[in-house]
Parts: sequence; C-alpha cells; structure tokens
Amino acid sequence: MTDKTILSVDNLALSYGSNPILKGVSMHLRRGEVVSLLGPSGSGKTTLLRAVAGLEQPHAGSVTIAGRTIYDGAGGIDIPAEKRDLGLVFQSYALWPHKTVFDNVAYPLKLRKVGQGEIAERVQAALKNLGLGHLAERYPHQLSGGQQQRVSIARALVYNPPVILLDEPLSNLDAKMREEARAWLRNLIVEMQLSALVVTHDQSEAMAMSDRILLLNGGVIEQQGSPQEMYSQPQTYFVADFMGSNNILKGRIVEIRDGEACVEVDGQLRLWGRRRSDAAIGQEVKAVLRVEQLRLADGPGEHRVAIDLATSMFLGDRFEYVFHAGDTLLRAWGSRPEAAGQRWLEFPPEAVWVF
Amino acid sequence: MLQTLPRRAVVALLALSVFFPLGLVLWQSVLSGPFFMPSAQLSLESFVFIFEDPDFWMATRNTLIIAVGMSVIAIPLGAVLAFIMVRTDLPGRRWLETPILIPIFVSPVVLGFGYVVSLGPVGFFSVWFEALFGHVPWNIYSLAAIVVIAGLTHVPHVYLYSSSALRNLGSDVEEAARLSGASPFRVARDVSIPMVSPALLYVGVLVFFLGFEIFGLPLILGDPEGHLVLTTYLYKLTNKLGTPSYHLMAAVATCIIAVTFPLVLLQRALLKSAQRFVAMKGKSARQRPLALGPWKWVALAVIALWLLLTIVVPVSGVALRSVVSSWGAGINLLEVLTLDHFRAVFEEDVMIRSILNSILIGTFGGALAVGGYLLVGLATHRKPDGLSRLVDYIVLTPRAVPGLMAGLAVFWVFLFVPFLAPLRSTLFSVWFAYAVVWLAYGMRLIQSALMQVGPELEEAGRLVGASRARVSLDITVPLIRNGLLGAWLLVFMIFEREYSTGVYLLSPGTEVIGAQIVSLWASGAVDVVAALSLINMLLVGTGLALALRFGVKLHD
Repeated sequence: MTDKTILSVDNLALSYGSNPILKGVSMHLRRGEVVSLLGPSGSGKTTLLRAVAGLEQPHAGSVTIAGRTIYDGAGGIDIPAEKRDLGLVFQSYALWPHKTVFDNVAYPLKLRKVGQGEIAERVQAALKNLGLGHLAERYPHQLSGGQQQRVSIARALVYNPPVILLDEPLSNLDAKMREEARAWLRNLIVEMQLSALVVTHDQSEAMAMSDRILLLNGGVIEQQGSPQEMYSQPQTYFVADFMGSNNILKGRIVEIRDGEACVEVDGQLRLWGRRRSDAAIGQEVKAVLRVEQLRLADGPGEHRVAIDLATSMFLGDRFEYVFHAGDTLLRAWGSRPEAAGQRWLEFPPEAVWVF
Repeated sequence: MLQTLPRRAVVALLALSVFFPLGLVLWQSVLSGPFFMPSAQLSLESFVFIFEDPDFWMATRNTLIIAVGMSVIAIPLGAVLAFIMVRTDLPGRRWLETPILIPIFVSPVVLGFGYVVSLGPVGFFSVWFEALFGHVPWNIYSLAAIVVIAGLTHVPHVYLYSSSALRNLGSDVEEAARLSGASPFRVARDVSIPMVSPALLYVGVLVFFLGFEIFGLPLILGDPEGHLVLTTYLYKLTNKLGTPSYHLMAAVATCIIAVTFPLVLLQRALLKSAQRFVAMKGKSARQRPLALGPWKWVALAVIALWLLLTIVVPVSGVALRSVVSSWGAGINLLEVLTLDHFRAVFEEDVMIRSILNSILIGTFGGALAVGGYLLVGLATHRKPDGLSRLVDYIVLTPRAVPGLMAGLAVFWVFLFVPFLAPLRSTLFSVWFAYAVVWLAYGMRLIQSALMQVGPELEEAGRLVGASRARVSLDITVPLIRNGLLGAWLLVFMIFEREYSTGVYLLSPGTEVIGAQIVSLWASGAVDVVAALSLINMLLVGTGLALALRFGVKLHD
C-alpha cells in the first residue's frame, strides 16, 4: 500500500444474524482511481459499499479513508455515517422530494455551516458543472431520470469528499441512455480526478468504467485486476463464467500434456484447452470458451470439429449461430447468415480454459 | 431516528407510562383492600370474592356469548361486504366506502343511546312499526339484541382488514386460475378466499377480542334487564359494597387482561403471518372487477339495510330525540319540537366545560399525542434492535386493557403519586389516559407514515453529514407532514369518540362529553344526554369532514 492509497478496507466481516455476508474482504482504492465492485446478487458488493459508507454494521476488520480510521472492529472505532465525509450516489438517487434541486445540493453545505453566499456560489458551480444550471428551482419529480442522477451526483460532490461511492449508478436508466451515461460518468470521474468506488452487477459496465475490478462471490473477493486481466486471465471458473458470454462444455479429462488438457464431451467431442485447475485424468471438468473465440471454419483441420448448426439469429451488428453438440448448445458469432446443417467449428486451445 | 440518549429517555418514559398504571392494577388485585390503606395485605381474597359472586359468572357467560355471537355476525357480513366493494362492479362503490366506516367513529355509548330511543319499547321506530303492523317483534334490551347490535356495529372492523387484503391480491393470480380452467366461483373458492384467509383469521380474533372490551352498548342496553358483561360488572362494583372496592375492581380487571393479553399476542402473531402471505402476492395492481349483473340490486339492498340498521336508525334517533320534549305512542312529534335540551346544555357550566374540554382534548390533546407517538416512532424508526422490539411490546400492552380499566388505573396513579396528585383534576390526567389507551392505534398511524419514507432518503442525509436527529428533523418529519396531519385528524375523531376511559377520571375540571354521557345516563337525564350525544356526533363529523377534505385515508 502506497501513500496514494485513499481508501483501504482490511479483512472486513459482516453478518446478518447468523448469516455471513462479508467473510473478510480486503481492498484498497488509490487516489484518482475508479474501482468497481462486481458480482452477482447476494455476493456482498452492495453490503461492502454500504459498510464503507457506515450504513451497515460490520463486526470485524477495519476501514481507513485518507489516513483516518473510520471503522476498526478490534479498536472499537466506528465513526457514524455523517462524520465519514463520504459522497454516495444512491441507486434510486434518493433525492429529497420536499426540497428543490438547489436545496438538495445545498443541504450538505448547510450542515457544514458554510455561509449563505458561498453555498449559493458552490451549488451553482456544481450544478453548472453537471449541466443542471437551469434546473435549480425545480423539484426532483419534475426532472427526468438522467437529470435526477446528475443532481444526486452534484449533491455527493459538492462538499468535495475524498472518495465518492456509487451504488449501481446506471441501473435506473433505460438501456439506451445507459451507454451514453456510462461514457459521460467515466469522463466526469476522470476529468474531476475523483476517487470512486462503484457497485455494479453488469460486467460490461464495470469494464467500461473502471481502472480495476473486484469480483465478489459469496462474501469474498474472487479475483481482482484490470478489466483486461479479469476478462482474459480468469483464475477460477466463477470469474471465467461471470465475465463475458461463454460456451460451457461439461466433460472428462482424457489426456494431459504440457499444461494443456484434452476434454471429452458427451463421449464424442474432444477438445484441447489450457489447464486452469489441477484436475487429473478422468475427472469431471468444465471447458469455458468465449463466444467470440469459437469460430466457424471453412473445412476440417486441427482443433476443428464438425457440428450441427441449428439456427442463426440476427442481432443487429452480427449473427449468432446456435449449434447442437449432443445435449449442449454452443454459440458462435459471425457476420453472415448461415443455413442449418453441418459446419466445421474451430476451438482454439489457447482460448479454451479447463477448470 | 434519534440519538441514543434521548432515545432511551423516550422509551423509558413510554415504559413507565404503560407499565406503572398496569402494574398498579395487578398489584392492587392481590391486596386485601385499597392499596393506600395501611391495613391492606397481600391476599387473594378479592379473587375469592368475585369468583364466589354469581354475577361475575353471569357477566363472564354473557361476555363470551357476545364475543362469539358478534364474531359470527360481523365476520361473514364484513367479508362479503369487502368482497362486494373490492372485487365487483357494484355501482356507487366509491361513494359507499365512507358510510361503511362511520360506525367505527361513533361512540358506542351514543350508538346504544340511539338504539334505545329508536328501537326501545317507546322508541321512534318501534312506535311507527307498531302503528303499521300491530306489534313490535323485537326487544332491544334482550341479550340477543345486544349480540346483534354489537355484531352489526363491528362489521366495519372486519371490512377494513378483509378489504385491504383483497385489494392487495393482484388479479393475476385469479386470472391464472381462470386460464387454468376454473370458473369464477372456483376461483373465489380455491384462490381468492384461501389467499385472504390469514387476514380473516386475524380479524376473527380481533372481533372476538373487541367483544371482551365492549362497554357502552351493554351498559345502556343491558341495564334494564340486568344483562351484565365483565366491563359493566366492573363498573357496577363501584357501588356494590358502598366503600371503594378497588381490590375487587382490580381483580376483575386482572381477569379481563388475562384473556385479552394473550389475544393481543395472538393477533400480533397472526398479523405477521398474514403479512407473509401478502408478500407472496402477485405483482399486478390492476384488478378487473367481477360483473355482478342483476345481483347488484341484491348487494345494494343488503348494504342499504345494514347502513339503515347501524347508522341511520340510531343516529336519526339521537338527532330526533335531541329536539323533542316528549316521545312515545300517540305523540305528534311536530308538536313537541324544541331546542330546550340544547338550551339546558348551554346554560350549565359543567356541560359547556365538558364540550370545551372535549374540543381541547381532541385538538391540542390530539396534536400532543401525535407528537408523543411521533417521538416513539422516531426512536424505533429503522433501528431493529432490542430496544425497538421492547417498544413493540410496550405499545401492544395497553391494547389489552379496556379503556374503562385504563382510566381507573390512571386515576389511581394520579391519586397516589404525590407530585402527580395536583394534576388529577386537570385535563392532563384525562389526556394522559387517552394517549396511553390509544397508543397502539396512534403508533400504527405513525409507523405506516414512517414506512412510506424510503430508507435511502434518510441514508443520503446521513452520508452528506447530518446526524440522526438532524435527519429526523430535516428529512423524515417534513416528508411525513401529510401522514401527521392525517394521524392528527384520526386521533381527534378517536378522542372525541372516547367515553369509557374518562369515566373514572370524571371530576370538576376534567369533564369530557363521553364520560359525561355515561354519568348522566345513570342519573336518567335523557334530554341532556340526547343533546350531548348529538353535539358529540357533530364534533366527530367535523373531524371526519376535514379528514375527507384533506384526503386522509380512514384506514391504512
């Protein structure tokens, strides 16, 4: 950990009754860095964010922000949420419906006993910065979803918190606006040099927005790394399966050679892939291959297998082919429609991971 | 959300307000005489006395008959009414909702009086009926009549709970059954009714429980033929021995609580399981009403008959009685019209005082009570810890203590706690008793308002730097303004309607209309009772009109 670290979480544990939610999570966030907490529902990602914010009660571990310990289970330190000086953008935005946009954003400054004149100045600046200058006198219900989100961000930023926490920031926007908002948000974070911790369940959102991804599973960090590492070098089956669109084939190892294993699926299909676990010959394994790595080939050859194409689907920017390999459905992408019938498929061994 | 110290103080004060009077009753019940007498010792003789008293057993039997009988009448009627109102295309449903709920807000003692003057031996309706058909087939003073009237006037309670359960039931579950091949009748039998059965079970226990509490109706209707119930037995004990028989009253009260408290706990458990059922409901909010066809006239006739019997007959009786000087067979009512009764009321200081006190206790007292409930609500709001669970049970406890006994217990508290004694003959003692008796009701209003506030709105406040108290002040309370206004209006109505709690607290300075009516009824001042009853209904009606004007939901 360097002095650039602005948020560090050490071995944080939290339970609801006898049900453990976080089982000792450690992480850190550097100044100016965006880290995503990614994971399926129930993985503890939102709980971790809320525990950092002071809205959930951990029972062990510690949290430090900008060198100040805000929670320490052993030391009995537990700074209440309002004294942690963090900014949180809620999934539902949580704008106060009885306050105008201006008053929503001004409230944190009012609590900090900032003078009236300065409040007006800073709130106007924050609103202008987010393109909301003309909406100050409106009430939240008079705004669109995207505008509400910006107000919520303005409210979380106006008092310059060292770290901003975002809980599923894009999930309340419709699909089309989400991609635009994603780019806008990433740009804002980079431009304002914010240190941000983002919770999301959407892997493409996490990859697009963050410098680093923490993938949580069942209350522990399964793997962390840059988006590229997470996508192309998964350490476990869970990570491989969670990131990207995958073909998953269940089979048995029949041969092992130089870090590669040959998997037999349904007694007919045999394919070579990288060994990602210490499974031995004869053991049940899963072979994972990204959909975009499974290629339609023009004829027989090494690592190629003839399989029945059931149908092709038009997805707009590409076609998706659906193959029957015994009981398993395989998917591949291409640029042309293909008629049903037998086709050759290439399984590049460097792209097949055997867990 | 409150900070730790004020939070503990609020809860401690609450616990003291609830448990001290109750504890006093329980302690008094095992003493040989009034607890302020030096000669009083620990003894079970009060229980021995009442258990040997045949009247006690008669009262117990009657109470059971009434509780069972009114459940048998009110539950099917209320459930059918709810089904018709919620699930069918009955014309004028919207318009009928408010009248159906009115009996909840009319004081039972006023209702009882209304039945006497309308359907009693010389009642207005009895006289008309006799003139038309030769004789009157009913006897309003019989136990059966009390059961029927209690049953009919408790239909709204059943209606409230079953209609909200039916409303929560999305029509998608019914449509799914229709598409699977079930006829509408099968749908109701196999899907709708089983799905609201937890609510019906809950309301069954509730009505049975209310049967143990009723006081006003049997006090007025049961007196002429001597039909005692436990509450009226308790009330009459005061005069039975001549001396203050506090230990006997406490023993009766303890017996009643021994039945009602487990019933309250049972209701709580049932409500929880009912809510679990609701959580599994289908999502669809839109409901397609069932077409009644020609049956709508039958349904309308049933509702009209019920409204006639439970509202029109007693209320018109009271109104009419308050403006005539004499009544009975052979009297032309037009010739005896008079405003003398109201003049009599407004000429007596005591009456004017009781009206003013009633208004004060409803408006200021109501606001103060809502403020107190709000503090308790904020103390436990979104803090699911041991203290909040404790508050849950504290709030539930007064529910098991009928108003008459709660008033008695508060009277004892103000009589014998030295620094409270000077407040006994002020309105504060009455207000305190009212606030404790209606604690559970008020807390439900406050809690349902608080639950409307999204937790993230408060969390956002904490995150930007507001303390718990600050969040309550700046975010939670402003957001539930309307809920608080609604709670205030409803508490106003409930406080105007209240009669039994003030009975033992009645003294110069603490007169309220409800208790005054009970006391005047005993002295036979029927004219004044009629005028006061009408004034009482007008006060409640004003609250109701305001509540409707402000769009307050009469139920949650």
